[in-house]
Order: sequence, then structure tokens, then C-alpha cells
Amino acid sequence: MEKYFLIALLAIFALWYLSYSATRLDRLHHRVETSWANLDGLLQRRAAVALEIAKSEIADPASSLLLTAAAHQARDAQMQTRSQAESGLSGALGLLLNDGHLVEGFIEKDLLRELSELTDKIRVAIALHVDAVTRTQMVRQKPVFRIFRLAGTAPLPVTYEFEADVL
Amino acid sequence: MTLKKLRIGLVCPYGWDTPGGVQNHVRDLAEYLIAKGHYVSVLAPVIDEDAIPDYVSSAGKPISIPYNGAVARVLFGPIAFARVRQWISNGKFDLLHLHEPAIPSISLLACWAAEGPLVGTFHAAAKRQKAIFAIGPILEPVIEKLTARIAVSEAARSTLTEHLETDAVVVPNGIYADRYRDGEVRAQWSGNTLGFIGRYEEPRKGLSVLLDALPIIARFAPDVRVLVAGPGDSKEVQDQIDPELRHRFEFLGRISEKEKADFLSSVALYIAPNTGGESFGIILAEALAGGAAVVASDIPAFDSLLGKGEYGALFQSEDPQDLAKVVIGLLREDEKRRTLAQRGKAYAQRFDWDVVAEDIFSIYEMALVGSDGVTLSSENRAWNRFLGREGN
Repeated sequence: MEKYFLIALLAIFALWYLSYSATRLDRLHHRVETSWANLDGLLQRRAAVALEIAKSEIADPASSLLLTAAAHQARDAQMQTRSQAESGLSGALGLLLNDGHLVEGFIEKDLLRELSELTDKIRVAIALHVDAVTRTQMVRQKPVFRIFRLAGTAPLPVTYEFEADVL
Repeated sequence: MTLKKLRIGLVCPYGWDTPGGVQNHVRDLAEYLIAKGHYVSVLAPVIDEDAIPDYVSSAGKPISIPYNGAVARVLFGPIAFARVRQWISNGKFDLLHLHEPAIPSISLLACWAAEGPLVGTFHAAAKRQKAIFAIGPILEPVIEKLTARIAVSEAARSTLTEHLETDAVVVPNGIYADRYRDGEVRAQWSGNTLGFIGRYEEPRKGLSVLLDALPIIARFAPDVRVLVAGPGDSKEVQDQIDPELRHRFEFLGRISEKEKADFLSSVALYIAPNTGGESFGIILAEALAGGAAVVASDIPAFDSLLGKGEYGALFQSEDPQDLAKVVIGLLREDEKRRTLAQRGKAYAQRFDWDVVAEDIFSIYEMALVGSDGVTLSSENRAWNRFLGREGN
């Protein structure tokens, strides 16, 4: 009799543990999604600011053209080409801003300030997203999660290439 | 900052009315956010419940446990857990900010009990501890719930990576830089003076290193004096001092904020000979903001705060001879000392609350994406239903 009781207890604990683990993984997947949504939003805003800069006095006609193209590409990119497009935009912005010419005018200074604030935020957002992704990958590697298929049909989250190089 | 006003819950693990860096940080952050118009509630262990500001809720009386080479006054247990749950469910918070959630305290309990946007700040920097590895598997899923992690320094960040295998964004501790900006030079504190602020009786603050270095310094600068400010029973320390050097010491006791600003503007050099146990070194940031030239031991926290010696001179930790050498070098060259102090003062502005709190707030905004507030976690909801009480 005692033996059955013990087995029942163990079974209950095992069930609780599985449910607990599933909740844990679900929470991680949720974190990956929200951190990506956040990052995505910030990148969209960066593309918008880049377009503004392209239209402003800061850019000469040639860089303006380059920047406009890169910003549109980043905005419209599909998931597969996203990495390339975002890196392209980072490059175009870098080319324009690192050549050391002084920017005058109130609106232009404002734009550049907004861009540098956005860049700081994007850096943090990338860190948060990468952390969520690696954490999820790590947890999904564990035997309990694999054997009982606790991930269900959720796709394994991945990091994009542009997240690796600092903006 | 967004126009939307948030309801923010801060959890402080250590006794609110005991002195400490984490408590100061939580208090300053809470007051900054309140001044910006947000609703803030702080949950902390409290000893004297009559003497706390409105925005603090007491979680009960703290108990003392030895932790990380000092005595920590924290709180945990079933009654505290009930209090934490009640606070979360009554607060209707948009976001919780938990301080030091990896030690057994109400921060950990809150992290366990809550669901939603959670931000955690890790303050401590410690060497590898076996105990944390042992409880790692239990801690891991709880710490994992944090939407965003902040470390106050690179030292705290590497502690976190080492023990819990997770990364964090570094946002430094804050100071009110303008309180120290305009200190007046007081004649009785200027000249060849070395300043020291802190609880000097604690060995890890390193006053003994300075004591050992003093005879050598005195040989080169006969009129050197040491000014020690901070709480403590100076009799005991004075008895340890060599009688020939005793006249060089002046113990000021606890000093006010205004006096501190004057103190930092007046002394020739500010000395921080700490031997370890520091994670950030807020006092160094204050000393820099006050315009003092700083000499500090090269422990990791100070090394990174002073930019590897760029904004203040470093000496080899626990080496009185090296300290003496650095101090003498700076006392002799007024020009070098002045440029060091000026560079440090400009650099210290980045630790101002205006900068630091904006950084913290932008992390709040990121944590808030796609959420609708903090609730009790599902595990606890099920448990409450089982016991026949609705938590929320």
C-alpha cells in the first residue's frame, strides 16, 4: 500500500515538474517574441530617421541617394534578407557620420541626437534579444524538454547576423 | 521619456533603515522617478516602521545573516512571501524592478511570485562561490523570468556571467553630481591633505594600508595630514596608530552632504585603499564629481570606474609602498594633480542621475513592450485556487 502511495506521489511530482517546465519554456518563447518586437520597432524607427537625414542638409546628393536606398531596403526586407539590409543601413549611416564634417542647424543636430539615442537603445535591445534567444536554445537542449517535446511546434529561435557586429 | 506615467514597484532586499549602497541606490532612484511623476512603491524590510517615507511598504523586520564577507540584513520565509504576494497583487504595477534578485531575500521571492515585465539589477561582485553553483539549478528558472538584467559594473556583470550563465546590460550607479559640483575650499582641510571617507573600522576599507604608507609619505612631505570622515569609534583605531604619526590624523566623524562637497574640493588627494568587496565604488564617483584628485587601489571595480587610471591614479592593492609612491608623485606635481582632477570631474557627469535614470527608464520601456502589467505568476494562482483563496 505504501509503495503505491509513494509511486502516486512521485507521479504527481513528475507531472508538476513537467507543467512547471512547460510554463518556463513558454515564458522564454514569449520573451524572445517581445524582445524581437521591441528590436524590430527600434530598427523601423532608425530607418525612418535615416530617411529624414537623407532629406536634410546633412547629406550631400550622393550619400543621400545611398542612404535612401539603404533605408528603404531595410524597411521592406523580408526575414531572409533582413540581416544584410540592416547591416547595409548601419554601413551607410557610418559612412555619412564618420567623415567628420561639422553639422550646423538646429533640425540637423536634433536628428543626429535622435539617431545616436536610437543607436544606444538598439544596442541594449540587441543584448536583450540575444540573451533571450541563447537562453531559450540552452533550455531546449536539456533532455527533459527534448524527450517530452515541451517546445511543441514552436520554431527554434535564432539570432540574426547583424546582431553580432556592433552598430 | 514617454508621457505615460507608470506604476513601478521597486524591491530592496536589505533593511531600509540600515546604511548601504543598494539602499541608497533604491532610495535615489525611487525619488527620481517620483519627481518625474510616476507612481512608485518600494517594498523593503524595515526595522522601525514609524520612520519610513510614504512610498516604502514594510515587508517585516530583517534578520542578519553573514553574506559575502559582511553581515546582510535581509528577510525571507513564508510570512514575508505572503507579504510580497499581497504587495504585488494590490500594487497593480506596470513593472517590477528587483534589486539583487540572486540572494535569498524578498527580491528573489518577488521574482518567484510575479509574472510580467520584471527588471533585475545585480549589484554584488564576488569571487566564485561554490554555494551559488549548488543552488544554481533552483535559482536559474527564477532568474530567467527577468525580462531585462542590469549590472552596475563590469565586475558585477562578470560575477553574473560566471555564476548564472546570463548576460546583463551595464548601467552604473547614480550620484547627484550637482550636489558636489560647487564645494567651497575650506582652509582647515586644504594643504597637503589626504582624504578618506567611509566606515574606516571595516578592514576591507583598507585604512590600515594608508596607515602603513604614511611614514614613507611623511618623509617626503613633512606637513602631510590625513582627514578621516565617516561613522565609527575612532578611539579604537587611534590606539593602533603609531604615536609619532597620531598628530597627523584628524577624525571628523559623520559629515553632512554640504561638508562632504567642501571636503572633496579641499583635500589635495582623495585616497580609496579598499582591499576588495566593492562592486562599483560610488564614493569614487562622488569624489570625482567633487573635483578631488583620486588615488585608488587597483581592485577590478575601481580599475574599471577610473578607466584604467585615466581619471584617477591607481596603486597595487594592499601594497603600502606603491601607494606611498603614487601619493608622493602627485603631491609633488601640482599641475599633474590638477589636470587629473579636472578630467575626473568632467568624466563623473556620466554618473549623474539625469543620465543614469534615463538609461534605466529606457530599459523599462523595452521591458514593457507587449505587456499588460504585473500579475501573480500562474503557478501561484493555481496554488491559491487549490488552497481556496483567490490571489487576484
